[in-house]
Amino acid sequence: MPAAKHKIVTAFEGIPQSRSLETYLKHGGYQNLKKALSMKPDALVDLVKASGLRGRGGAGFPTGLKWSFIPKDSKERYLVCNNDEGEPGTFKDRYILELSPHMLLEGMIITAYAIQSKKGYVYTRCEFYEEIEWLNQAIDEAYETGYLGENIIGSGFSFNLDHYIGAGAYVCGEETGMLSSLEGKKGYPKLKPPFPAVAGYLGKPTIINNTETLATIPWIIEHGAEAFRKFGTEKSPGTKLFCVSGPVKNPGVFERPLGYPLQKLIYEDAGGLIDGKELKAVIPGGASSPVLNKEDVMTMKLDFESLAGAGSMLGSGAVIVIPHDVNIFDVFKVTADFFHHESCGQCTPCREGTGWIANILQGIEENKGSPADFERIYKIATQLMGRTICALSDAAAMPARGFVNKFRDELNAYIETKRNTR
Amino acid sequence: MSVFSEKLQDKFKHYLARYETRRSAILPILHEIQDEYGWIQPEHIESLEKEYGLAKVHVQEVVSFYSMYRTEKPRPYRIYFCDNIVCTLMGAEKTMEKIRKVMKSYEDKGLESPFSLEGVPCLGVCDGAPAMLVNKERYLRVDSEKVEEILMKYGA
Repeated sequence: MPAAKHKIVTAFEGIPQSRSLETYLKHGGYQNLKKALSMKPDALVDLVKASGLRGRGGAGFPTGLKWSFIPKDSKERYLVCNNDEGEPGTFKDRYILELSPHMLLEGMIITAYAIQSKKGYVYTRCEFYEEIEWLNQAIDEAYETGYLGENIIGSGFSFNLDHYIGAGAYVCGEETGMLSSLEGKKGYPKLKPPFPAVAGYLGKPTIINNTETLATIPWIIEHGAEAFRKFGTEKSPGTKLFCVSGPVKNPGVFERPLGYPLQKLIYEDAGGLIDGKELKAVIPGGASSPVLNKEDVMTMKLDFESLAGAGSMLGSGAVIVIPHDVNIFDVFKVTADFFHHESCGQCTPCREGTGWIANILQGIEENKGSPADFERIYKIATQLMGRTICALSDAAAMPARGFVNKFRDELNAYIETKRNTR
Repeated sequence: MSVFSEKLQDKFKHYLARYETRRSAILPILHEIQDEYGWIQPEHIESLEKEYGLAKVHVQEVVSFYSMYRTEKPRPYRIYFCDNIVCTLMGAEKTMEKIRKVMKSYEDKGLESPFSLEGVPCLGVCDGAPAMLVNKERYLRVDSEKVEEILMKYGA
């Protein structure tokens, strides 16, 4: 892989025709697959465990540990790449497809070998029309050159990969919702346990990893666990893709070591705010992460433990910058409407609760609010947490509580202003 | 006689044989039908059961759950505008207002607008907010001026 400081999954940044197989091979592509295939599968699982790599989709579960949950006596195993990037504010997996889809494929084939899976799927959201074609082309190239299919580069290991396209449902980004969708059903998440590593796709052991997670694997094979741990913090090793969006001069994807200062990301990498705007708040990890106020932003480090310690979460690394001239109520309402719309309807607390929150906010907007409304929302949100099959309910509740916690005064003032216009 | 073209039938057979279960073929088959006919019609669902044994209840479950499957005849140009957090911050509402105005100008002349407008969740291109799709074409940083030029391209 091209060697560049702090660059693992964005190593192909700035390289012309970076998506082509030719370019990928020229820069050492698929050499790590060769190396991995010469190792014992268990040794690969141990290597990834030792690297401390944590899932990059949002939950941050240790990747190697997840792999090791596959029952030893199971025969049929599946690998699924969660490429259903839909968390509002997130556009990093899309960037990997734009730069080097072969890096994702190499990571997947290595992972498949490590967990001894013969069949895998990439599940991509349907709105990524162009990106779907790029990945299809890479898959075709990998088949033609023997990196996918039977007896991969003469190793005796076989792995077939299919690209499955979603149809517009946020909940299918939840790993068990994704499995239901792959089975051709509505994307209802499944009750855990059993976890997918034990009973996943069609009831068979299945590992589901995020695109960024899988694209990191070749680098870890090449450089080792220790080199990976040189980036980041003890509990959050490695680099992470951060997506900065909102009214900043230079919005985009930045690969930075975990533990990186949020302030630096916004003011140096993304160039600060446009048009002399002042920063009011930041949503640090996608729509489901609780908002941070300006004071939090100035000292925050971007890693799993720092953000969790501040009552928020690293999530998918989607940093949304909210300027001073935006009413926080409007951001709250858009967020609440989104989760209400995307609740799949399977569990009552989520189906009803997300609707209640959205309705109360709608009422406030229509000048029907009362001073008790935000307390009510906070209570409802608390009742939503930990009571459903999947985490969508929590993903709706956490930011709701966050907005009330951090911006109670502004929100209450908004009700008053609205009431005075009645 | 099948309601589906031969080319489409070949694709269906390919999908039905491709996955571990025939049911997994439902999503890709519906994508193909929609690409060909613009929407999923009741007779398509009937035929999938009669010709391919895909239970109507299973197909209907998928059609009704996923928001990108259309069950009504669509207008020629479907605008999917992101109305999520970042696009809202970057002025999506102002641009959508402009689109509504263009659409209304057709109605004022007693014509049907060739456009439909739908607010959709995050399109995953927030660094290019506000973002929209017109059918399968993606447009970034669509402000109210730029959107007029884009719509003119489609004959507005």
